Amino acid sequence: MEINKRRWLMDIIMLPIGLLTFFPFYLIIVNTFKTQAETARNPISWPKTFYLDNYSYVFREVPLLHAMMNTTVITAISVGTMVIFGAMAAYPIVFNPGKTNKLIMTYLMAGFLIPFQTTLIPLFELMTDFRLIDRLYGLVLVYSGGSVFVFFLMMGYMKTIPKELPEAAIIDGCGTSGIFWKIIFPLLKPITVTAIIYQTMWIWNDFLAPMLFLNSSNNMTLILQVYRAKGEFSVNWPLFMTLTVIVLIPIFIFFILMQKQIVKGIVGGAVKG
Amino acid sequence: MKKRMQSLQYQWFLLPILTVYSIFTVYPLLKSFVLSMTDFNGISKQYNFVGLANYGRLFRDQTIISGVSFTLSYAIATTLIITLLAIPLALILDNKFFTRNLHRAIFFFPSIPSGLLLAYVWGFILSPISSGVLNKILKSTFGLSTQPWLSDPMLAKISVIMVAVWAAVGWHAILYLAFLQGISKDYYEAAAIDGATRLKQIRHITLPLLAPAMTVSVMLLLTGGLKVFEIPFALTKGGPGFETYTITQVIVMRGVNEGQYGLASAMAIVFFLIVLALTYFQVTVMQKREERIQ
Repeated sequence: MEINKRRWLMDIIMLPIGLLTFFPFYLIIVNTFKTQAETARNPISWPKTFYLDNYSYVFREVPLLHAMMNTTVITAISVGTMVIFGAMAAYPIVFNPGKTNKLIMTYLMAGFLIPFQTTLIPLFELMTDFRLIDRLYGLVLVYSGGSVFVFFLMMGYMKTIPKELPEAAIIDGCGTSGIFWKIIFPLLKPITVTAIIYQTMWIWNDFLAPMLFLNSSNNMTLILQVYRAKGEFSVNWPLFMTLTVIVLIPIFIFFILMQKQIVKGIVGGAVKG
Repeated sequence: MKKRMQSLQYQWFLLPILTVYSIFTVYPLLKSFVLSMTDFNGISKQYNFVGLANYGRLFRDQTIISGVSFTLSYAIATTLIITLLAIPLALILDNKFFTRNLHRAIFFFPSIPSGLLLAYVWGFILSPISSGVLNKILKSTFGLSTQPWLSDPMLAKISVIMVAVWAAVGWHAILYLAFLQGISKDYYEAAAIDGATRLKQIRHITLPLLAPAMTVSVMLLLTGGLKVFEIPFALTKGGPGFETYTITQVIVMRGVNEGQYGLASAMAIVFFLIVLALTYFQVTVMQKREERIQ
């Protein structure tokens, strides 16, 4: 009884704080069902009628499905590349240790300290020289430098794999390459999930690199379309909120499905960081 | 010989990462150093070595001074406020109550979508026009007049920082929460037997054991804060004037847009050194602190 009372107390204390935190999302949703005039008059209230024209307008005017395709392609290929390059690099560092590899490890880890902003101008020049501006694969190449973070996660995890495992496989006639792809890589599954979640959230949401390296409407990512639409819709907030809801839906689904994994990832990343 | 061959077979696996990392991270870093000492403008192929002149110009460019000063205040303010809110929030979310999981999700979710998108939504809330939600609420409940949340220099800075706190506090609370759950219940039981109050337990058991989490969280907040770009860009475009300008914005504008590559590269290098120095300093100090209190 006493404990139950305390339980309710927490609920009551937290309710207003939770509502306040959630309030922007409430505003986004209710204003998608209003006309511009109704939003100007009553931005906070529940919509009078469920006006759906904003949705049809946004779907008609903004190439959202195309942008979603672009974002998915860029994210999937970049993350795939990073995971494979990162895992591959961890393999010799862990299983073929020595002076050279210690040096290489330090060289790769230095990447953590180099902010993207510091490399941005020469990167822009490089991309221009190689005609990689406004190319989806150009952006993928830029992101592939982020493999060092995945490498770091993979290295930590790989150290927990017993050394006898690949040795036994060598005796069984498995080559260095075979050991990695058939034995080591499948064992990395838990940390791979973490790495995929982390890198997906970064690339899916990234604004700076796409803004710099993509410019034609045909190649725009979702976030770039949001940026452009903000300019176009200007103060037509109902249209902008509608776009926001549509862009948030896949992220929300990802969040609901992956919440536990994301939390695990935060902890895993933090403990090693 | 056989051993050597085998060793080489391993080394091939390093090739892909060394290639992309060297071309897309290390080479641009070194090039930034070089460019920062030239008058390269991006157009003419000829450029001159100008020594440290660009570094001197950084201190005479009012926009850059604004950008650096706001970025530093932003990084420090968000780090302090988020840390001060995230720890109590984590302590609360660690309790058993009926809507606990719902609350965890509500606080956590704002850190998942793009900051640009969420900051635009906040632009709606803080807007001075009739649909500006915050002014509307303040007017109807307290009779306050319309406040220029995003166009007054001080209010704009506060608004940007508050939106950033809203977006990130849950993420850091979840980080602390994960560490809280790792603390053995035995400590609390022993303390309770000794007659320690709940508050004393938090002060002497929980907080010291959270020190490693704090080192990580503060490091992520500081480095993330220094790299800030999207939230002020979406809320104020750096304004009013250059009051909420950021270092990233300076590099993009002076470099990519205006072709002042030398100056922008000098900014980029100084930025790199600031991040390096602050991270090193913070991690060293906080790790010493961990050792002292544990």
